[in-house]
Amino acid sequence: MKKILAILLAGMMTATVFAGCGGGGSSSGSEASGSGSEQSSGSSGGAAVKDANTVDPATFGDEDNITLKVWAPDKAVALVKEQIEAFKAAYPEKTFTKIEVVAQGEGDAGTQLMNDASTAADVFSFASDQLNKLVDAKVIAPVAFVDAVSEMNAPGTVEAGTLQNTLYAYPETNDNGYYLVYDKSVVSADKAGKLEDVLAACKDAGKKFIFDCGNGFYSCTYAFTAGVKIDGLEEDGVTQKFSQYDEAEAVKTLQAFSKLMHEYKGTFTSLDVAQIASGFSTGTLGAGVDGSWNTNADKDALGDNFGAAKLPTINVDGTDKQLVSLFGYKYIGVNAASKFPASAQILAYYLAGETCQQQRAEQLGWGPSNKNVQAMDVVTKSEVQQAIKAQSENACVQVNIAPTFWDPMGNLGNKLIAEDTNPDDAEYFTKLLKDTVANVRDEG
Amino acid sequence: MTYVEYKMLNPFQRFGYNFKKVLVSIPRAVGNFFKAIGRGFVKLFTGIGKGFKKYGTTFAKGDWATKLSYLIFGVGDLHKGKYYKGILFLLAEIFYVLYIALFGWQYISKFNTLGTTETGMQMVNGIPKQVFGDNSMLILLYSVLTIVITAVMFVIYIANIKDAYKHQVMRENGQKPTSLAYDVKQFLDGKYHVTLLSFPVLMIAIFNILPLIFMILIAFTNYDKQHMPPGTLFTWVGLDNFGSLFNLVEGAKKGKTFIELTGWTILWAILATFTNYILGMIVALMINKKGIKLKGLWRTLFVISIAVPQFVSLLLMNQMLQTNGAINVLLSEISRAFGGGAVEIQFLNSTTLMARTTVVIINCWVGIPYTILSMSGILMNIPEDLYESARIDGASPVKTFTAITLPYMLFVTTPQLITQFVGNINNFNVIYLLTGGGPTTQDYYQAGRTDILVTWLFKLSMDTQDYGLAAAIGILVFIVCATISLIVYNNSKSMKDEEAFS
Repeated sequence: MKKILAILLAGMMTATVFAGCGGGGSSSGSEASGSGSEQSSGSSGGAAVKDANTVDPATFGDEDNITLKVWAPDKAVALVKEQIEAFKAAYPEKTFTKIEVVAQGEGDAGTQLMNDASTAADVFSFASDQLNKLVDAKVIAPVAFVDAVSEMNAPGTVEAGTLQNTLYAYPETNDNGYYLVYDKSVVSADKAGKLEDVLAACKDAGKKFIFDCGNGFYSCTYAFTAGVKIDGLEEDGVTQKFSQYDEAEAVKTLQAFSKLMHEYKGTFTSLDVAQIASGFSTGTLGAGVDGSWNTNADKDALGDNFGAAKLPTINVDGTDKQLVSLFGYKYIGVNAASKFPASAQILAYYLAGETCQQQRAEQLGWGPSNKNVQAMDVVTKSEVQQAIKAQSENACVQVNIAPTFWDPMGNLGNKLIAEDTNPDDAEYFTKLLKDTVANVRDEG
Repeated sequence: MTYVEYKMLNPFQRFGYNFKKVLVSIPRAVGNFFKAIGRGFVKLFTGIGKGFKKYGTTFAKGDWATKLSYLIFGVGDLHKGKYYKGILFLLAEIFYVLYIALFGWQYISKFNTLGTTETGMQMVNGIPKQVFGDNSMLILLYSVLTIVITAVMFVIYIANIKDAYKHQVMRENGQKPTSLAYDVKQFLDGKYHVTLLSFPVLMIAIFNILPLIFMILIAFTNYDKQHMPPGTLFTWVGLDNFGSLFNLVEGAKKGKTFIELTGWTILWAILATFTNYILGMIVALMINKKGIKLKGLWRTLFVISIAVPQFVSLLLMNQMLQTNGAINVLLSEISRAFGGGAVEIQFLNSTTLMARTTVVIINCWVGIPYTILSMSGILMNIPEDLYESARIDGASPVKTFTAITLPYMLFVTTPQLITQFVGNINNFNVIYLLTGGGPTTQDYYQAGRTDILVTWLFKLSMDTQDYGLAAAIGILVFIVCATISLIVYNNSKSMKDEEAFS
């Protein structure tokens, strides 16, 4: 009896070894690719489509009893589920065994996909900065319906999705950026144009201004405004390329930012953007730089006092310089390792189509990339959408960004606002700028 | 120095003397450690030599069935009437041959290059479809599996030969092979340890050792963001990853980051371990002191922070220490009461010293309750008669502490201290959840001022996909931890003088 007990105990102990070993089971690849089928002429034409949402059912080929997995951001999961039901109804001749929707943030969908493509989603939405990574790793399939997609969507979104003359993803939104949100009772609309005025108004009212300096996504604004703009990647496909810039001018701009931060110490605060909506609702915040995806929360907090504008200007040596932000798009991609490549492409086409974009603009407030939807009231009558549109004209496009970009840029923002930084020390800022550029380029 | 001379020293001189003794013993300890490793190797190779010799002599002495067992498993056993074992051996060989032919060979044959055919794309009816090439990661993974299975087969092969010869000798002596029922009974009696341990050992091999070999091998490849399977291939690069960690040329950031982070990691481990240990011991002593009322209440109050999961309290602390967090708000209120202005101390994001001090202090808050718990137990276990005799001899409370309490506690807790030290070297939670590695700096490669090696490793693998580099760091961390633990433990009283307090 004792011995049996001992065996059981030993078994239980080994069971602890399993902890942390969940998942796994990667299927080995090398399926035979459809033999005997004629090859179309590369990416020049693309397969035929029926309308702005659906394609000819023949495109499915011999795929049936289709099982697919979709990654969508948390907030959109419910809507995507409804859209998928509509998708199934649009192709009554096909059997869909299962189309699963899993919540997965767009920010790291690409990383998740690269970590294990075989268990990842077939169709996934992601932010434009990951595109080059995905293309390099060959885990994303090119768009099958190139002509139709290029024609339907705004040229900027198509251009940013095209690498090496191939369109790799279906444009989904045209709004992935940040802009100025403010409390109209603190900052009047005519003051929202200049950073100095915004800060002064906040200080007078005893309220704060939030800009997340420690996050490279926001703080690259300082470098871009200073003229240190990104310009794609070098030929090796991983090193960030910067456009030509005037170092003296750039250093002056950085100093101007740092001076403002130190002058308005206590007003200019560096906090996570999640604090912005809560700051508005507790009445401690006058204005902030927030992302388009938080618009609804900010609106709820401020009610009628909600104000939105493009980023303000900053005064450098007497001239007002427009803040230049990072502006990106969201895309829907197809996993290259999908077991149902044709179905995945058709579903991606549907989800990025006109109807779905309109639904997302109406229900989630996402800015569409589809030209027809862009002309609809839901976009043209929205203050936020107009602010984003204005800011997008003063922005670097968020594509072809090296993974080493974010941390050094976050560090740049941290150093500008750090208490022990002296804004008048031009030498320090010159070194900081040089180090930041070198780190982004991973030199050394 | 004689015992009498030692007793005449004052406490400071004694401390100096002991400290010197420890320092002097370190080189010897390190030397012994490597000597032991050397002896281990010698033993291993002589063992292998002996094995080969036996392999030859057995063949020479064996009859035809034993000789045939060298080629076909189990023939010897089948010939001598040990049927079930012979069949098992034969099945093992068949399984192995099938495994290699159907599965293992396609991977192990590419082990030296880790694949040469890249993945491509093909258009079928206008739908792009992936044509898979070699997948370096799968090649590496299944090659490791194949190698391990081959090693196991080798052990079975040798067992098969030994068994065949054993039964040959038994037959020559007129003995009969044991029956199946008898052998099964043996597994519940004489070979009970085999029954008990085989399943755990098998599971550890599959879930710990196999992945470990795989991870170690990755450190010698260029598996990074430019070489990501299944799209692209990676291959062997030898010691390049280790080289870049020890590259101290001016401007080489990876080497600088590694060396400086190692320094901070060790400093952090020492500070975190000893602040917790000493402060926890002091609190435990205070609570256990005679005459203290409501001991249970105090103990509960201190231990209650364990009720909140560690990572929750760390994330909360992170929020409280922000510039608009609870602590700064509280300080502002106090400052306003005295006519001052708002206080906004950047605890986690300004200077290196400030952030590091904050981390160590918060770690005390998280760690001291555990020390109090274990210390209280030990304190209550010290035999009361030791204290009684000390009192009768007229010893002062301080003397009682240094002569009885402290040696007893150190004796019992040295292994615990080592575990804590190693745990702190790898204390991912406190650093990552509290500061995220900040304050950031432009001097390091993908790391901040409070990053320790593990959190850097995490960032390298999760943010920039430098898997090869991260694996190399993991190996180095293991070497540091293993060396420190072995040396300290082997020189501790608990190891050398096990009977001291029993």
